[in-house]
Amino acid sequence: MEDLLRELAPQILGALLRRYRQFDACEDAVQEALLDAAQSWQALGLPENPRAWLIAVASRRLVDEWRSESARRRREETVGALEIAEHAGEWQAPAQDDTLRLLFLCCHPSLSVPSQLALTLRAVGGLTTAEIASAFLVPEATMAQRVSRAKQTIKSSGVEFELPAESDRGPRLRVVLHVLYLIFNEGYTASSGPSLQRADLTTEAIRLARSLHALIPGEGEATGLLALMLLTDARRAARCDADGSIIPLAEQDRSLWHAPQIAEGIALITRTLGNAPVGPYQMQAAIAAVHDEARTAADTDWPQILALYGVLEQISPGPVVTLNHAVALAMVHGPRAGLALLGKLDSDERLALTHRLDAVRGHLLELAGEEAAAREAYQRAARMTASVPEQRYLTLKAARLLRS
Amino acid sequence: MKYMILTFGDQATMMQERTVAWVKEMIQFMGELNAELQKTGEWISAEGLADPTAAKTVRFQGGIPVATDGPFAEAKESLAGYWIVDVESEARALEIASRIVRFVEHPIEVRQVMAAPPEL
Repeated sequence: MEDLLRELAPQILGALLRRYRQFDACEDAVQEALLDAAQSWQALGLPENPRAWLIAVASRRLVDEWRSESARRRREETVGALEIAEHAGEWQAPAQDDTLRLLFLCCHPSLSVPSQLALTLRAVGGLTTAEIASAFLVPEATMAQRVSRAKQTIKSSGVEFELPAESDRGPRLRVVLHVLYLIFNEGYTASSGPSLQRADLTTEAIRLARSLHALIPGEGEATGLLALMLLTDARRAARCDADGSIIPLAEQDRSLWHAPQIAEGIALITRTLGNAPVGPYQMQAAIAAVHDEARTAADTDWPQILALYGVLEQISPGPVVTLNHAVALAMVHGPRAGLALLGKLDSDERLALTHRLDAVRGHLLELAGEEAAAREAYQRAARMTASVPEQRYLTLKAARLLRS
Repeated sequence: MKYMILTFGDQATMMQERTVAWVKEMIQFMGELNAELQKTGEWISAEGLADPTAAKTVRFQGGIPVATDGPFAEAKESLAGYWIVDVESEARALEIASRIVRFVEHPIEVRQVMAAPPEL
């Protein structure tokens, strides 16, 4: 039932928005209707037409809200809405684009990134504010404020419930994809708090990416993002041991990987590559697919991964790509080749404050047999990371080298 | 990204150095800042600590933990209070800290809370 409610949430909101326009009021009404549905359906069973039921209840909620407001003129204007609500079952079928329009609205560039995440999860994902707050480990009041501010921004900047103009569509879609990617990544945090809650965010991100892909199957990057999520999340059970410590890819028990998800991800990325303009999510998915296809770490087709990083470096250059490229280079041509490429990043300010450069450097130095230098690099990296499991992992790496 | 913003010092020094008007303004400023952070959806928590003169320090001495009166740090280095905020960037955390430091005039420390996703 929860799945059904979540799936219907953006459709109901879309239907209301097309009729009543006011995003903040409509969104509140849909949330209340979802809560009503959860209670009522539990007790009485599913209505014949859940969508019509929700539209009717949400519309009534909206009208009740308007009625209770003091502005008399506004009240008179909207009284007619009640009648419309009674006939909700006759409303036109869900517009395919409603969910897409909502995604563009919630990921509008006028909103801050935390607001985009919160609003997307609430309005498109159908999560309650309490659920979102607990997923991000912030007080519910804080998240409620973030959501209401985001809605206020949408209201005051006059953003419409429309698809962006063709010329603007590419950049706007990139923001939507980035927001879904960040939700997924946030779910990958096992650093603190109840880890199950966090895994829920990963699942939610995949669900949203799946519906986005269904709406725009021809957009290679939307497909690439979904494939990347599936191929990465497939390793979830093998990523940590019982106490939450990180297990690196090379040491994971691959029998724990989720085979159906890997198969789905590989099918998606295989179908897309070559049939759509190539982009960074597709390339990252292709790389994840090569890893996932290897039955053991030693079977990994590193030359292919190296070639893919070469492409990624061309279409979407950046220090993090170079970093991963260096690892692939080391696996094909030896640690010295990788270290040489890393040297180019020393002057890159974007990485100066992150631990990743030293974490990779430690790994390559260890491969090269330079244990003292490797230990120092791991220690520097451990001091710089802001992730608890990562800090533990790097500290252990350094400690193991001290003992040997 | 979550950051902890820490202030240091003790009441005795503050009362010696500050006027009544300043203390009142400071209280008002803190109230306004907290309200604003709540409004922007960035507020996680904020607490002030009791004066360090009442602090105890527990040391491990001769194999046993021993509690003694007094703070561990010098009064001016003693933690006085903190905010935890969830902000979009480090720059925003520094902006909040800058507003506080303009008021308290003592150095403010800004530390990231360990809550980032692992990216190995």
